This record gives sequence, C-alpha cells and structure tokens, in this order.
Amino acid sequence: MIDADFEVVRDEAPPMSLARGATLVRRARAQLGVGTSTWWFVLPALGLYAFIVLIPTVRGSYYSFTDWDGLNPVKHWVGLDNFTAILHDDAARGAIKHTVLIAIAIMLIQNAIGLLLALGVNSQIKSRNILRVVLFAPAVMTPVVVAFLWQYLYTPDGAINRALGAVGLHGLERGWLGDTSLALWCIVVVIIWQFAGYSMVIFLAGLQSIPAEITEASAVDGAGAFRRFWYVTRPLIAPAITVNLMLSIIGGLKLFDQVWVLTGGGPGYATDTLSTLIYRNAFQFGEFAYSTALALLLTVFVAVVSGAQYRLLRSQEYA
Amino acid sequence: MNRYGWRTFALEIGMIAVTLLFAFPLYVLVNLSLRPEGQLSSPLAIHWPPTFANYSSAWHQAALGRAIFDSLVITVGSVAVVVIVSSMAAYPLARSTARLSRWTFGLFMLGLLLPFQLALLPLYTAMRDLHLLGSLWGLILFYSGLQVPFCVFLYTAFLRAVPRDYEEAAVLDGCTPLRAFRHVVFPLLRPVTGTVVILNAIFVWNDFLTPLLYLSGTDRQTIPVAIFTFVGQYSSDWQLVFAALVMGIAPILLVYFAMQRQIIRGFSGGLKG
Amino acid sequence: MAAVRFDSVSRVFAKELRPAVDRLSLDIPDGEFLVLVGPSGCGKSTTLRMLAGLERVDGGSIWIGDSDVTRVAPQNRDIAMVFQNYALYPHMSVEQNMGFALKMARTPRPQIRTRVGEAARLLALDEFLGRKPGALSGGQRQRVAMGRAIVRDPQVFLMDEPLSNLDAKLRVQTRTEISALQRRLGTTTVYVTHDQVEAMTMGDRVAVMNEGRLQQVDAPKRLYARPANVFVAGFIGSPPMNLRVGRLDRDGVLLDGYRIPLGRDLLARAAAAGAGRDGELVVGFRPDAAELTAESEPGLAVVVEEVEELGFDAFAYAAALDDAAESLHSADIVARLPGDTAVSRGQKMRLRVNPQGIHLFSTKTGESLD
Repeated sequence: MIDADFEVVRDEAPPMSLARGATLVRRARAQLGVGTSTWWFVLPALGLYAFIVLIPTVRGSYYSFTDWDGLNPVKHWVGLDNFTAILHDDAARGAIKHTVLIAIAIMLIQNAIGLLLALGVNSQIKSRNILRVVLFAPAVMTPVVVAFLWQYLYTPDGAINRALGAVGLHGLERGWLGDTSLALWCIVVVIIWQFAGYSMVIFLAGLQSIPAEITEASAVDGAGAFRRFWYVTRPLIAPAITVNLMLSIIGGLKLFDQVWVLTGGGPGYATDTLSTLIYRNAFQFGEFAYSTALALLLTVFVAVVSGAQYRLLRSQEYA
Repeated sequence: MNRYGWRTFALEIGMIAVTLLFAFPLYVLVNLSLRPEGQLSSPLAIHWPPTFANYSSAWHQAALGRAIFDSLVITVGSVAVVVIVSSMAAYPLARSTARLSRWTFGLFMLGLLLPFQLALLPLYTAMRDLHLLGSLWGLILFYSGLQVPFCVFLYTAFLRAVPRDYEEAAVLDGCTPLRAFRHVVFPLLRPVTGTVVILNAIFVWNDFLTPLLYLSGTDRQTIPVAIFTFVGQYSSDWQLVFAALVMGIAPILLVYFAMQRQIIRGFSGGLKG
Repeated sequence: MAAVRFDSVSRVFAKELRPAVDRLSLDIPDGEFLVLVGPSGCGKSTTLRMLAGLERVDGGSIWIGDSDVTRVAPQNRDIAMVFQNYALYPHMSVEQNMGFALKMARTPRPQIRTRVGEAARLLALDEFLGRKPGALSGGQRQRVAMGRAIVRDPQVFLMDEPLSNLDAKLRVQTRTEISALQRRLGTTTVYVTHDQVEAMTMGDRVAVMNEGRLQQVDAPKRLYARPANVFVAGFIGSPPMNLRVGRLDRDGVLLDGYRIPLGRDLLARAAAAGAGRDGELVVGFRPDAAELTAESEPGLAVVVEEVEELGFDAFAYAAALDDAAESLHSADIVARLPGDTAVSRGQKMRLRVNPQGIHLFSTKTGESLD
C-alpha cells in the first residue's frame, strides 16, 4: 500500500546517529500533534461545513425569532410570535402529529420486519444470498422513483386493487392515497418496503457476529428456537438494535421526498409532515420565518429523541 | 447447526414468497413500461410482444441523457471533494489529544445530529445572493459541505485505530506532513474511502429537494428532478412514466448489482459506530 | 445416564466425494468414558455433533438409552456438551452461564442456585460466580464450560477437544481432573480429541477413526498391544510404531536380509491370511522392541540420524542403509535406548528386533495378520 515514491525516499535517507534520530522522532511526534504543521488540515473541511451547515443553522435559528421574508434584508425581532402561531395553526399541529406517528410506526414496524427477514436470511436456507441482494435493492433506489411507482400502485385502478380483485378480495379495495384515514399508513408501507432491507442488513451484521457455537450451546442447554432468540441472540445483537432504532426514527422524522411525491401532504392536509409543511410555507407561501421556526422545532425534536433513545438503548447493551 | 430438515425447507419457501412479494412492485414497473400506449389490461398480465417505444420517447422528452450527465458531474465532483477534505481533516483530529482537537471533533459530530431543514432557507438565500443557484457548482459545494460531518466521523474513527509508525517513518525520512499524508496515510484509509464513496454517491445521486430548489427554472436537472418534472407533465400516461422510472433507477441498480457485496458491507459497517 | 448406540451412521457433506462419517457402528455402555480419536478430518467431531443433534444424520440411526434420537432436536436429547472454544454466553455471569440449562428446564430458582453452587465449589469457581466470561482466564473459562455441563446431570456428556486451548501443564492437570470427575459422576461420556496421549490416559475404551471410518475400538492397552490395522498401529503410541515392508520366508520375516525368527503358528497364520505376492507384508515393531547393537552383530544395517534425549528415556532415529526396502512412515526407524547407551549421530550400527514385539499386517488391506 505504500507507493513507490515513499520507497525511493527511504532508500536515499542517510544513516544517522542515535541522538539525532531521537531528536527527529520527538520533533515528528510534536509535528503530528496539533499545533505546528498539521492543524491546518482541518480547515478546508471546517470551512465547507461552516458555510453549508453551521452558519446557516445559526442564522436559521435566529431568523425563527424574526419576521424574515427571505428578501428584505431588514428583520425585526418578534420573539416567540412564530412559535405561538405554530401552536394555533391546525395545519402545523396536524403536521407534528403526523410526523411523530409516521416516525414511530416506521421505527417499530420496519425494524420488526427487518429483524424477521434477517433471521430468515441468516438461516440454513439455500437462497439466502440472492434473497439478501433482492431485499436490500429498494434501499438504494431513488426515493422519488419509488414514490411514483407506489403512487401508481395505489391508484383506484392500479396494481394493488387489481391484484386484490384477482384473488377475489374485492371487498378490500380502497381509495388508498385518497382516503384520509388510510393515506398516512399507505406512506408508511412505502417507506417500510424501501427500507426493511436496510434494517435487515444491519441486523444480519449483528447476527453474524455471534459465534455459531454459542447458539448451538444454548440449543444443547435445552432452549428451543424462540428461547434461543430471546435469551441469547437478542442481548448479543443489542448494538444492531440501537443503530437501527436510531436511524429509523431520525429518518422518519425528517422524511420529505416520498410524502411530497405520494400525496403532497394531502388529501387536504391529512398527510402533511413537518418537512412538507416547511417546504410549502417557504416556497409556496413565502413565509420564510414561520418555516424556519417549524424547522427549529423539528431540530429540537430530533435532538431530544435521539439523545433520549441513545441513552436508553446504550444501557441495554451488555458490554 | 447443519440440520436442513423439513422446517428449514418451509422457511425457505416462506422467505422466497416474502421476497417475491417485495419484488412485485418492480415486476409491475417493468411490465407496464414495455406495453404500448393505450393498453389497459390488468397490470399483472404480460403483454406480448413487448415494445420499447416508451423508452425512447421518455428518454427524449425527459431529457434523461442530460440529466444523467448532470447527476454524474455533481456526484463525482462532490464525492471527490468530500473524500479529500474529510480525510485530511480526520488526520489531526485522530492524532491529537489536545482539547482544541476534541472540541473540533465534537463540532463536526454536531452536524450528524442536525436535520438539514433548519439550514435550508438561510443557505438558499446565501446561494442566491452568491449567484450559485442554477449552476452545478453550487450543488457540488452543497453536498461537499453537507456530508463533511459523517465522513469526518468515519475517517477519524478508523484512523484512530491505525498505528502511527508509518507516518513517523515518513517524517523521519524527510516528508513534509502533506506528503506523508498523501503517500502514507491516505492509502491506508482505502477501506474507509470505499465506504465513504459508496454511501455518499448513493445519497447524492438520489437526493431530490435541494436540486429541485437550486436548479429550478434552468435546463439543468438531476435524475430525481428530471423524473419529477416529467411525471408531473405526463402523469396520465403510466406506460411512458414507467419507462422513465425504469431508466431513472437503472444506473444505480446496475452499480448495485455489480458491487452489492461492497455496498451492503458499506451500509452495515455503520454498526461499529 | 444411558447407553449410546450408533447404528451404521453416515454423514455426507454436499459436494464432497467421500462421506465425512461412513456407516459408523458403535455401542457405548452406560457409564463408560469413550474417547473418539483420530487425525484432522477423520470425522470424530462430526460424529459427536450428530450425537448432539447439531449435524444432520444422512444414514443410520443414533440411540440414547432406549430412544431413537436421530431426528430429535438437541434441546430434547438431555445431553450436555463442552465445546472446544467453551461457547460461554458472554453477556451472562458465570452463575447465569452455569444455571442456564436448568433455567430452560424450568427448575425452581432456589434449586438452581444450590446446584450451581455445588458445581462451582467442586470446580473451585465460587469466587467467580458474579464475573462475566470476558474477565476470566482460559483455564477458568474451561472450568465454567465443564461446570455448565455437570450441573445438569444429563444422560450423556459430550466433550469436543476441551483441553486443546490450554497450555501443556494445565492440560495434564485438567486431564486427571476430568477423569476423576467422570468416575465420580458415572455419566456416560463421549470425548473427542486428536491427541492420542489424552485418549490413552483418559478412556475406558478408545475408538480410533480415520477418513470417516471406525478403525478399531478397544481398551487402551489392547489398542496398544494388538492394533487391528496399519493405521491404528501407526497412530497409537508415541513415538509411533515402526512399519516396514518385509518378506515372509520359511523361518520368519526378512527385513533387507535381516531375518527375524517367528513362531510356526504366526507364520502359518500369516501365510494363510494372505501375505502378498513374494510373501510381502508389513512388519511392525515398537521402539521398545528395537535395539541398537554394534556393527559386528547380526541385524539390520542402519545409520543413526538423530538422538532424542528425554531425561528418563532416549530415542534414536535411524535410517536403513539399504534403501531398497521402503518404510511406510519415513526414512527413520525409531529405537528406544536404555539410559546408559552412548550413541552418536552418524554412527553406523545394527538394529535388532525382539520377535515377541513383531506385528504383521497385510500389504493389500493393512489388516493385522496375527
């Protein structure tokens, strides 16, 4: 891995005395620490990061307390006005409710399915490799494309209703995305379809890190399949559980692409989430300050949820 | 346990059935894209002979060739920048134990937690005022900065476990720190670079909202935006739409099937963190 | 406690030409300590795993007591197993590890505690009960693995090379502990090892396997004194038995012109059982039946290549001067040297063999001819 350039330099180095060598090592160690020559390595990354993420975030937090409209350079401090407006706005309250609901539903169902799939793929079945590849494939697909595909499947004349009809279940046919009580769940299904494979893959990594001997020992010790899972497998995949729960809930809270394409927040505002609301308020109504206040709310949500969940789950891990 | 009894066989059948269920939407997608216009029979049945007319129409009308090019430029550009910039930043962060270094690392980690929505609007106005909207450079800049925290995290974690011997040897031999990094440290990071490239490329390629905002009103589009605009115009003609959808995900699926082992490993390697 | 029976048991792994275990039939009476020994790949571990239920049985049947357990799941066989790498549950304490099986059997908690406590005391583990396996040394972990098995009072103990990860001194110590424990508990035990010294010192009976087939099962002494075929002869005993091709003639066997006289009965049996063309057969003799004498004496001409001093004993490794006769193992013949013999490298000597120590085997089948 060390390239030719380095080798040449090595060969040309003159022999040196012990003392001189020691001095050089000390200097090298000092150089490689922070301080003299390498600290500036951080600057390009820091600069980009500050410009794209940090500074706008700080500005955004500030603007959420003003009457910013995105164009006028003059902003007036309005304190908590934007936030009280949120509390009084039905659309906003609905969006918050939907966001939380979607996130929790995804977190629980996607990971349950992912775990079951992982257990299945981790077994002795012969098709495990192909199944793993196919089940994970949706996770790399463009969410927008996935959403359009499912939008079609959900149309009253689309594949789902047709399939139900074909097996004689006409009674189960619905308006799906047009049905205010079902639309949210339809969205949840799409997300789970796309990302169950992702959860599966993370669980698989956890399952494969358990030495086979340990599960065999538990079988010899008298544990049937379910008890083997509960007492031995589950505690040993705790890190995978933590990672999956955190990723899915944070992803669920921030969801935009699929919701926007599938329903645009509709029917009515039945599937609006914080993300779609933020977009609409900013780019369709021009309410930049209000939108940013919503964004700040979302950020706080995510921070609180991740922090709490992280602490809770880490305490479950055995080591 | 190597017991392939009837129970395992039942599991195999069950898993295959579940996978077929998962694959069902994709079957419908490809099936309908190969149908001529106006064919209204059940989406479940295969219509023979298949036609590729939808594909050529969609390709031209959605300007997919151009979109692929634009997506490629943005993806390659931002991934290259982020790899170089993050690996360099990880170097002092991994090696130094000074407080400043630990605080800087913490600052980067903050970015992992922040949802982008809060920065969305102020950054948009900043880009607008700098006349970077509508150009691919703006997006390259955007993704480079956005992905820095995650990549710095991956590189730093990995680099911390790499012994310092190689760098020290290089410096002893007269390398400047930059040369030492380029010739010794960076090659050692190849495993992480692989993961970083894969995860970043997939994310950038598939991203929708920001290109939609930044490139609206211009003739530049990334694939997701091109698909979105196209479907918006032709939404009633599903066969055409589906052909566009298939072409939209074809590049990434091809890469996926070619490199699935590395890709899956890249995604599940996040377990270490 | 129960007897174990293997009835023509086979296991064939997909894509492999020969079975890993080939129609093994073995009867293990109740309470016996049976050792399964053989080189790597001989099928001993696979056999053990089939008994445990961790490996599918492709042919034949396995019986524990009066029940046919061939298709029974491991958790229902009432067996306990000590794994080669111990397989301790890393997230559970020593006490929980040892009590797990009892918990699975829904034993009431106070009883679990008592039984675990007893076993822990027996194995000197009491002070470690609260620790996790990660905080234990190799030897301690091995004892926990043993404890997990003995706490259960199962029908059979299965042990898969439990000593191979221990250092030499600990291995010898633990060997005697395991034997004593088994004698005390009286549970039928099937013990797998690749180390024939372990096999010989621990087993009531030893079953030697090679390439999936059972070669011989017998008490250690008989295995040593009367090996059934060339493989067993060369496997059991350290240093191994010398095996050379020789020829039968009227009065004995010939090794490169050196005649070893044999009794009439033995010669007749050998001839009848089918010595090869030209009366060829395999002649075996252990190092202690071989003696090195001066060049002037009658015997096989050899040159000493190496001398191994073991303190109480010494062995000389010599090569026959006449290369026409090929040896079955290596060019070396091993002879035991009585303590005071001075022999040096390169010295030319003669080898004499005690006729009482001769074993004859067929060159065609490898089977014993005596």
